[in-house]
Amino acid sequence: MSEYAIETEGLTKVFRSSWSKRELVAVDNVSIRVPKGTTYGLLGPNGAGKTTFVKMLLSCAHPTSGRAMVFGRDSREEEARRPIGYLPENHRFPTYMTGRDMLNFYGALSGMETRARQARIPELLNLVGLDERAHNLRLGKYSKGMLQRVGLAQALIHSPKLLVLDEPSDGVDPVGRKQIRDVLHGLEKQGVTIFLNSHLLAEVELFCHEVAIIQKGKLALTGTVQELTSGSGYRVESVGVPEALETELRAKAKSFAATNGRLSLLFGSRQEANQVVDLLRGNGCEIESLGPSRSTLEEVFMKTVEAAK
Amino acid sequence: MNATLALIEDTFREAFARRVLWGFFGCCTVLLLFLMFIMRVDVVAGALATVTIFGRSMPSQDLQNLVQQTQSVIAMVLYFAGMALSVFASAGLVSAMFEPGRIELLISKPVSRTHLLLGRYLGNVLVIGANILYLVIGSWIIFGIKTQVWGMGFLLSSLCTIFIFAVLLAVLVLAGVLWDSAAVGIMITFAIMIVTPILAQKNTIERLLDSEWSRDLVKVLYYVLPKTSDVSIIIRHLILNQPVESWMPVWSTALFGIVVLGAGIWRFQRRTF
Repeated sequence: MSEYAIETEGLTKVFRSSWSKRELVAVDNVSIRVPKGTTYGLLGPNGAGKTTFVKMLLSCAHPTSGRAMVFGRDSREEEARRPIGYLPENHRFPTYMTGRDMLNFYGALSGMETRARQARIPELLNLVGLDERAHNLRLGKYSKGMLQRVGLAQALIHSPKLLVLDEPSDGVDPVGRKQIRDVLHGLEKQGVTIFLNSHLLAEVELFCHEVAIIQKGKLALTGTVQELTSGSGYRVESVGVPEALETELRAKAKSFAATNGRLSLLFGSRQEANQVVDLLRGNGCEIESLGPSRSTLEEVFMKTVEAAK
Repeated sequence: MNATLALIEDTFREAFARRVLWGFFGCCTVLLLFLMFIMRVDVVAGALATVTIFGRSMPSQDLQNLVQQTQSVIAMVLYFAGMALSVFASAGLVSAMFEPGRIELLISKPVSRTHLLLGRYLGNVLVIGANILYLVIGSWIIFGIKTQVWGMGFLLSSLCTIFIFAVLLAVLVLAGVLWDSAAVGIMITFAIMIVTPILAQKNTIERLLDSEWSRDLVKVLYYVLPKTSDVSIIIRHLILNQPVESWMPVWSTALFGIVVLGAGIWRFQRRTF
């Protein structure tokens, strides 16, 4: 049994137009490994190839070359899809079904027995925050947020070991987002691997342990969120710094910013930062904050995308 | 088995969510009510005494003959008009399955693509088959009770009608897989329904054609395409208790259906969604 929930090797998808013979490389030689039980975010600008990548994992698209494995099985095998729960981005759920009917239908397709489905459906609908009234309401009458919730319930119906979520909180209000995040955190604690494809970088940063950024079909960057967002120095923030000292510190710092009487300084090493703290305290200045400098995932993303252009 | 039943049930749900199938069901019900209440047949000692429609007496004929002729008219209406309506109603059901956002979710389940397509296909045949059987069995019972004529030919004819629908549905499936379009599927199927009765007159057409290749083309088309017209003749023979001269139209039509459905499955398995 593989130690990875998802493993791709040189995964490539080329779309060929049958008329003009033009080629479009949607995914280009992407190799990633998603360890079991982790939360993994796939990032990239529109048209980067994220959805095609996910579709190859689910066997909706056939790779031109390379291969995708799910828990050690080739993704094209029927059995490889059994442990996967999937929520597509632009889903079109059958509007003639109620929430209960929909879960019953997809549960049956996932191989669940009738009795198991009947026990799990109300439990899941409640878990994703859909009240009793919504259980028997036709999906045509659901709001966008309710559809996302029932879509998530659908993905969870057969207790999957791997969840593949494409923009799970799209159209959901902030309270609902928090609720969805709590559900996902609960699953993470149970050891479920979560593969998240989202444009909401703050959400990915908050939720995922590892990320991959793809640009123009190629893997541009991969690593843990901690590694990618950690900076190359230490930041000291202080208030009430005398002008002469401020000038002296500006000269020593790698970068600085001063707003509303607050001075923010970046130093290359911990030792330098400690010396500056001593100096500031010796001059009676208040230390507001001190710690390793960090970039946001958005900054990392923008840098990576710009560099890949 | 669970998945197959779920796919069939889903097709039934969707079919009834689309009003056109309720229309089909309504037409069948109206016809059954017509037979039940409007047509009055008086039988005296096993012989037809009077036939009354809308309260007016019709010329009396041999009872068995009258029932068979009426059943034959119903079967032909069902075969041609009902078939056109069925194709129209089913085209949307087939192409709906390939809608983006829906097909990906179906494929992501641990069910083979062949299973998904055949489940939908079978569900569709059962939906239309249920409507056809409702009309045929309903009218067969009404005729039987009113006249005590219980010929099996009329019941068998319903199976032939369902069979031809299954073949035309295979064309809709192939068109759906290739082009995701209900409209293209309807056009191709209607073209087959229009062209094949013309091709059935192949002997007459061959006499009118000058060149050898055009005569060969007509022959090839006749043998390759489903023989809707010839099967309708077989249906009439079955109802009228006449011997069927050749079953070739049935088996060659079945072969066409199998090949077309096979092509649809083959393409569906290879397609990227």
